Amino acid sequence: MGKLRSLRIAPFGSIAGAVFLIAAFSQLSFSQESAAVSKPPGKSKLSVSLSTPQVSFGDVTHAAGIDFHLTCGSREKRYIMDSMCGGIAVFDYDNDGWMDIFLVNGSTLEDLQNKKCNPSKLYHNNHDGTFTDVTANSGLTHCGWGFGVAVGDYDNDGWEDLYITYLDGGVLYHNDGDGAFTDVTAKAGVGNAGRWGTSAAFGDYDNDGFLDLYVANYVDLDLKHLPEFGQGPFCQYRGIPVSCGPRGLKGGRDRLYHNNGDGTFTDVTEKLNIDTDSYYGLGVLWLDYDMDGCEDLYVANDSSPSLLYRGDCKGGFTEVGVQAGVAYSADGREQAGMGIDSADYDNDGWPDIAKANFSDDTNNLYHNDHDGEFTDLAGPANFGQVSLPFLGFGLKFLDFDNDGWKDVFVANGHVNPQVDGHSFGVTYAERPLLFRNLKNGKFEEIGKRAGVALARRYVARGAATADFFNDGREDLLVSVLDGSPLLLRNETAKRGHWLRIKTVGTHSNRDGFGARVEVKAGGLRQSEEVRTNSSFESASDPRLHFGLGAAAQVDSIVIHWPSGKVDTLGPDSADQELVIQEGGVVTKRVYSEPTSPPHPKRKNSNQR
Amino acid sequence: MAYVLLAFACIAGAQSVNESVAGLISKGQSALDAGDFSQSAGDFERARQMAPDNLEVNRGLLLSYLQQNRLDEAEQTGRSAIARFPQDPQLLHWLGLVYFKRGRNAEALETLRQAEKIQNSQADIHFDTALVLLSDNQYPAAAIELEKAVQLDPKTALPHVLLGRAYQNTNRSEQAVEQFKLALRLEPELPLGHYHLGFAYASLGRNQEAIAEYEIEIKRSPHDFSTLYQLGHCLLAAGDYKSAIEHLQRASEMDPQNADAAYDLGKALLMQGETESAVAALQRAIALRADDPGVHYQLAWALEKAGRKDEAQREFQTFAALKKQQPVTGGMATGPIQ
Repeated sequence: MGKLRSLRIAPFGSIAGAVFLIAAFSQLSFSQESAAVSKPPGKSKLSVSLSTPQVSFGDVTHAAGIDFHLTCGSREKRYIMDSMCGGIAVFDYDNDGWMDIFLVNGSTLEDLQNKKCNPSKLYHNNHDGTFTDVTANSGLTHCGWGFGVAVGDYDNDGWEDLYITYLDGGVLYHNDGDGAFTDVTAKAGVGNAGRWGTSAAFGDYDNDGFLDLYVANYVDLDLKHLPEFGQGPFCQYRGIPVSCGPRGLKGGRDRLYHNNGDGTFTDVTEKLNIDTDSYYGLGVLWLDYDMDGCEDLYVANDSSPSLLYRGDCKGGFTEVGVQAGVAYSADGREQAGMGIDSADYDNDGWPDIAKANFSDDTNNLYHNDHDGEFTDLAGPANFGQVSLPFLGFGLKFLDFDNDGWKDVFVANGHVNPQVDGHSFGVTYAERPLLFRNLKNGKFEEIGKRAGVALARRYVARGAATADFFNDGREDLLVSVLDGSPLLLRNETAKRGHWLRIKTVGTHSNRDGFGARVEVKAGGLRQSEEVRTNSSFESASDPRLHFGLGAAAQVDSIVIHWPSGKVDTLGPDSADQELVIQEGGVVTKRVYSEPTSPPHPKRKNSNQR
Repeated sequence: MAYVLLAFACIAGAQSVNESVAGLISKGQSALDAGDFSQSAGDFERARQMAPDNLEVNRGLLLSYLQQNRLDEAEQTGRSAIARFPQDPQLLHWLGLVYFKRGRNAEALETLRQAEKIQNSQADIHFDTALVLLSDNQYPAAAIELEKAVQLDPKTALPHVLLGRAYQNTNRSEQAVEQFKLALRLEPELPLGHYHLGFAYASLGRNQEAIAEYEIEIKRSPHDFSTLYQLGHCLLAAGDYKSAIEHLQRASEMDPQNADAAYDLGKALLMQGETESAVAALQRAIALRADDPGVHYQLAWALEKAGRKDEAQREFQTFAALKKQQPVTGGMATGPIQ
């Protein structure tokens, strides 16, 4: 007969459906975390898109002569340190007015055991769009598994020094002023011995005119007893085996070194109750969030609360992360904070904070509420939900179109190559995110439309901004795990006027770190704070860059120095760099035509 | 001659019985098609008295009992039938379903797997095996069965929906989106189809599309709590606080015992600046879920913004205390562990 059909029996369908729905909702907590969002674009978005310039960044890495490979552990990323390299520094090591580049290299377990060196590299800016590898004579020879780098003139001699973090400590290099650096770690007492440092940053927390040093330590790792890949509850990602940690591993306690002013530092970690819970430190940012004239400190931690230390102007700190609303997500959850940066994105005069997080979580945009508290406005600003599939590391505010409103760049890349091959909606290599500030508290993510280089996917880590070509445009430098860095030249054709300011402290620290500069032009008041380190393991151009839009003249410049002095300058013309010394003296002017830089000419390696 | 006559009589009698069994089977099948399972059970019971070893009779009776939820009789019939016809995939299939309905999933799975071995090209068997696996939260295995089911029967919407949910629950949201879209293409009015699609979009960070899907679903089912809540949740995340409050308010009224709705309503009210209303909503959420540190964290902020500093401090302390008691979440390597 064979006529009896396997009927789809209604009761089963409904029973199973009910069972299944219950099961489906049991996953709700995950999905809820995921669900945070962006509003459908309205007419205003369209009009902005049509009336604003086409933003474009071009990959000029090879044309510029950058030839560097970042080595970082195994390709499979079997251990946690295999995923965390990528420090980059942009600084003018020879004081020629052009930003040079230092790229920190990592290592592998095998190379460490065999004492094989994967050298970091120093590149000199040739002023013509190209760079020359000058590592050989630089003395930057420490061999180890490097991660982050901090820049600052710790001895106020007018030459930028370097501090590099390693898997087993840190190295302070004194800039000798002749193209060479000297390892002064032992004398300075900033060895961070046996600790795995990630980001580090110089800042003068007690306003004594000397830069102190904060080092974020990640995990207290025993290389002889590394946790086995995929073995254990903290070695899983969405059910697949991955490298272990940081959960399940002991956190490394951060260190704060006070600069004694004589070339030595004192470890004040215990004295000032720094990182008492030994969280997994990844991002460091000095800022004066309450604008009381004293540096505060924000530290992004992985899988644990972020910390905000409010400086008391007397050399002491109070940790206020929870009270300020920047410790946890809006739902009170720990996040995996990586890169952090600060800028006044809404031009209300107060510094806000942005933080990149793990995938399945949204990046934060902490708006400064002017009362010591922040509100995470990532959702309404269209900044959060779009980041959900992306694992953010380097994060930088910049004004790529010089319209006077800070935009944001986020370098992304997962930590687990194993995610590829699973349709998780996340991939190992990921495209960066580029957010255009719409000037109304909202952003628009335009990465896919900002040139081929930004539309590609990378396993990106560090990110820094700089005007490498001194043409009035902020460019980007991004490190890529197990690959070549990206030098992304800002090729945005139509853009606004600009002003660049370099601060030179006299009573304050010589870099002027912590100085707040207000620029009024075209009816807009902007403010920025001088620093070099933020983002992830990286240091950016310390010169402040102000986009001025249509304004060809600056009405006024006000500088609030860490010493308490206030200098007022202006009016002045746009499209120039001013070197301003504490006391209000313009010691140098560098005019630049707002035109494209000369076509990069490739120079031979090691040629100056 | 007498022997010959007797023989003829026997043959005629046998033909008569056969004709009667065939008629009952036909009647039973018609009753099954019409959904009259009581009638079909009666027809097949009578047929079995006449032909207990007839495969189709046993199939029909088992199916009829199954449809009527007469599970004891279904199991007895199924087991005895399989003793006679151990290689019949239909009997195994339906006996597997009997076990499933009785909550004996291990036996169900074993029996259905046997059916699959014999008849691997039948979409229904893979589909029903997937149902068992789904009820055991075995999403990856269920997805494999459903993939086979939709390959064999690509024109039916339901397997696509379930496959989408299996993907979603194994964090394969992009594939989930594709399956939900396929299902909606096959059956545009599919209940909860747009809801599931919206859910998958939201988990991919595609909030605009999620909101659009939820809005379609809400037009169709304006009183569906889950859709109302998820729409409100997405609107809250998107910063459209006014609309979020509207939907979350309705969701809260619909299910006053739902802590998620009360919590999100509190958050939306807080962001809208309605601090006292936010405090009230969050206190309701705490009454429903007192041990959730996140709710206390949010209430602390609402109290802080309402100027009730002392109460806020107490809530922050409660939050901190609860945090210490509970395993941490968020951060590296913390996706749902299967």
